[in-house]
Amino acid sequence: MTDKTATPDRDIDLDLASRLNLSRRGFLKTTAVGAMAVGAGGLLKTEEAQAFAYEPYPRDDDLQTVVTSCAHNCGSRHALIAHKKGDVIVRISTDDGRYQKDGFFGKDTEEEPQLRGCLRGRSYRQRLYSAERLLYPMMRVGERGEGKFKRVSWDEALNFIAMKMLAIKNTYGPTALVDQSYAGASYGVLHKSDQIEGLLGRFLGMFGCRTSSWSVPSYQGTTTSSRWTFGTIEDGNEDDAFAHSKLIIMWGWNPAYTFHGGNTFYYMRLAKQRGCKFVLVDPQYTDSAAVYDAWWIPIRPNTDAAMMAGMAHHIFTNNLHDQAFIDKFCQGMDAGTMPDWAKDTPNGKENFKDYILGTYDGTPKTPEWAAAICGVSAGDIVKLADMYAKTKPAALKASWAPGRNAFGEQYNRMAAALQAMTGNIGVLGGCAEGVGKAWHPEAVAYPYDEWANIWFASIKSDRWAHIVLNYPNVKREEVGLWPRNDQLDGVIPNIKGIFWQGSNWFNQLTNINKEIEAVKKLELVVCMDSTITPSGLYADVLLPVATHFERHDVALPWYKGHYYIHRPKVIEPMGESRTDFQIFTELAYRIGELDPQGYGMFGKIYNPKADRGYFLNPDAVDEAYLAEWWNTKVMPHHHIDMPWEEFKGYGIYKFLLKEPHVGFRAQIEQGVPFQTPSGKIEILVNELAWIQDWKKTKYGEHVPSIPKWIEPWESLNSPKTKEYPFHLVSPHPRWRTHSIFNNCAWLRETYEQECTLNASDAKKLGIKTGDTVELWNERGKVVVPAYVTERCMPGVLVLHEGSWLDLDENGVDRSGNPDFLTLDAPSPAGAFAYNTVLCNIAKSDLEHRPGWDRLATARSHVFRREHRREL
Amino acid sequence: MANEKDTATIKTAVERKKKVAYTPVVPDMQLGFIHNNVDCIGCRACEIACKDKNGLPAGPRFRRVQYIEGGTYPEVYAYKVNVSCNHCAEPACLPTCPTGAIWKRKDNGIVDIDSTLCIGCRRCEAACPYGAPQFIPELNIVGKCNLCVDEIEAGRKPYCVMACMMRTLDIGPIDKLREGKWETKALGPNDKPVRAVKNFANPELTKPSIVFVVHDKGKV
Repeated sequence: MTDKTATPDRDIDLDLASRLNLSRRGFLKTTAVGAMAVGAGGLLKTEEAQAFAYEPYPRDDDLQTVVTSCAHNCGSRHALIAHKKGDVIVRISTDDGRYQKDGFFGKDTEEEPQLRGCLRGRSYRQRLYSAERLLYPMMRVGERGEGKFKRVSWDEALNFIAMKMLAIKNTYGPTALVDQSYAGASYGVLHKSDQIEGLLGRFLGMFGCRTSSWSVPSYQGTTTSSRWTFGTIEDGNEDDAFAHSKLIIMWGWNPAYTFHGGNTFYYMRLAKQRGCKFVLVDPQYTDSAAVYDAWWIPIRPNTDAAMMAGMAHHIFTNNLHDQAFIDKFCQGMDAGTMPDWAKDTPNGKENFKDYILGTYDGTPKTPEWAAAICGVSAGDIVKLADMYAKTKPAALKASWAPGRNAFGEQYNRMAAALQAMTGNIGVLGGCAEGVGKAWHPEAVAYPYDEWANIWFASIKSDRWAHIVLNYPNVKREEVGLWPRNDQLDGVIPNIKGIFWQGSNWFNQLTNINKEIEAVKKLELVVCMDSTITPSGLYADVLLPVATHFERHDVALPWYKGHYYIHRPKVIEPMGESRTDFQIFTELAYRIGELDPQGYGMFGKIYNPKADRGYFLNPDAVDEAYLAEWWNTKVMPHHHIDMPWEEFKGYGIYKFLLKEPHVGFRAQIEQGVPFQTPSGKIEILVNELAWIQDWKKTKYGEHVPSIPKWIEPWESLNSPKTKEYPFHLVSPHPRWRTHSIFNNCAWLRETYEQECTLNASDAKKLGIKTGDTVELWNERGKVVVPAYVTERCMPGVLVLHEGSWLDLDENGVDRSGNPDFLTLDAPSPAGAFAYNTVLCNIAKSDLEHRPGWDRLATARSHVFRREHRREL
Repeated sequence: MANEKDTATIKTAVERKKKVAYTPVVPDMQLGFIHNNVDCIGCRACEIACKDKNGLPAGPRFRRVQYIEGGTYPEVYAYKVNVSCNHCAEPACLPTCPTGAIWKRKDNGIVDIDSTLCIGCRRCEAACPYGAPQFIPELNIVGKCNLCVDEIEAGRKPYCVMACMMRTLDIGPIDKLREGKWETKALGPNDKPVRAVKNFANPELTKPSIVFVVHDKGKV
């Protein structure tokens, strides 16, 4: 075994400048003074060339090895192996099969695959040692958003926040502070940032002043749909199940970019080798389509539910559906599965089959009807419907992106109806996803008790700016207020402050220009992060947070995969950075000092295992929480007998499942009821059927009780295309996780922020690859280079989300952040309408800046593509 | 460190180089790469792993995943060609080096650059048909892939190979790889390795130690 202890070696006391120097030669120059052991042979000059390319050079086996993982919020989690000298991480590798029980170099089986990190994980040293790293608490000295800060002591920063919090709560009441915690870079079982389980939610909730943000930007349409239809968001298969499909329909899904689970993309390669066919329904011919040799069906954005309705029509009218499955497991799929009570409901009298056949509105949802909406030929719709209904087992993987739309939830519900009518739920090789969470890990190691997730108002997450700008003239249905059973029900929060913890939401929510207006009206803006971010620029106080390399935790598979990865403290926290848990604990103590009567016990109750000394040294307390979590939750839940100490010794615990985990297998094979009120797959949703007053629901407006096609507020079919003829979609990039890593030059040179457009569109506009273009609509304007390709549907523009906003003096975003063009109007179910955007495009003389560094370049085009001459 | 070079040593090296005729090194066993152009998702984890391993700044890229796409909407195709240094049997870079800094290892055929002798003249960069030598302005030298020879010597595989999430990149003895007789996940059950891909330099020029699984459109 390699030595995995993480004892800081203070003999080599490197100054910050040398730490920030990622060049190994620079690093060695400094450390050579510290009597570092290097191979002496390399320093001797001999007759002929024979020195190694980097003599003198620390080999991996000369360095200390520490197993850890990546930690950002991307849909997977992989092992990272830190190789360090003293207190500096020299390089990072990944799982090679050695760091588990009975492991050895090269072990990589289908049951226990290596958890190999992606390009983002591999670039962590650039984030850790970046020039953008926050090392000291800072406070704003200029106007908000001007980006001028001064360094202050922790005392000054925390006292300011504590006093301000008390003043705001006393003046404006219990809804004045918005929790915008998200899973940025803090994802672990102990140091958690999260909307529900996060440390911030518990802190503000205990403090008694918290407006929470209930909709999830990535997949709320899908979440709501899965909860309605299946009663749970754990509707997923484990990644290895994908190796067993005969047909995989990637609907808006690009695992070559998003990875989605430890090894999903690799298991799909195995499926391909075993004869599985692939289809991609997407406006872009993605790398996933290329790798899996998929049949590409280009579709107009935001029309997916219509195409699926056309498929359902073909399946029903040709009797290709699985009637036995429908009769046994579904509610409201057809007249025969309608419950008796439905006829008495205000909203639940219709069944899905009759809607598809046009019984109610006189419009049969035929493939021809769908073709006119979605731009896919009726022939192709029929062909796909036929393939899906006749290939067993087949996986319709309804991804999240088409759900990030106006009425995106209807797309996910429509997909669930197709999955159910073909009997592809609960069988190996089928798929009921949806959200797609599968194997259930133990996720929380800090006190998750009656104080967790207390809130006094809860809003649709992208409506905070609307509330701030229009308060008090705001209606509950405009902002999706979550109903309550007390006097606060329906009370619009009077928002005066925001906390960002592991969150760059200012850069990531919709309609950024509106947020810029709103943030000016706040009285307190706190940003807790490891680096400066665009959100941080608009903060009053910047608190430096230790990265996951600098604190003790355990990593979970985010989405798919069945393992735990130990995350010891690899190096000491840089600068004066502290963990989120340390910061909240200390703030709680300080609030208790300011108001002993109200908050005398706040610090102790918030962090019961700690005392005030936690702010200076958290190690023993963190260890105690994690050991308790392992012993009382992990071991009994998973029936494993490996002690905590042994787990720490290996670094990774991989579970061997008896068979691939398939969502709802127990429901289908053993008749266990679904977690819905009816115990069935609710195509007709009980909850929706009974709703009379929509304004008092969190949805705010009417939602049909069965899946239906609803025309989005803008699309390529709307009259607005006269002014804005292009539909913009903003998928997740591969070279960033949302906005994280945007500052890493390594990643910026592999890909660049650019607007993808179809070659025939580009020809009409006189645009060539590499030209600078501007995209605009009534909400904003952004500037980026163009990438002209045949791989994109005409009329569609693609601009990846997450670039760090960079405004010029006229408010034009030079970075090319698509959220200057998106609309802050959520779908009824809470889906962010990130992909419901019309805009225009033209060649531009305006400046594009690929990064905040004035010298930042994106040179991906140098090694990029073989272009056809006429492009 | 580039500006701390021992001028006398370099002069001696140049003199020696002028005197000695170049005889190609025939390695005991030649290591080489295999890359599956079709199944590679093009994520470039291998590139980043390589940059981290070699401590490179932005700019030089020892490994380069190239994207190739074509066709006309909606009948399109795409594949990747992933190349670093091919550790050629007859490396074009080696004879161009005025100081003899470039050398080929006898045991495994790895072509390496002795950074203590490199003067950054960039002749090798011009000679290589694959773009393997990469100039590093910060150090004023040329660097390139050395197949992570430290890892090979430790009984492991290079960082790029161990980074491949799709298991489409691997190394092995090039003879066996060419014959398809080396067990590797880069090769699918129906895949046949070939020595060249479209727009790749004629392998007869330098005899590169690499094989590919090529896309239909990438066949030569």
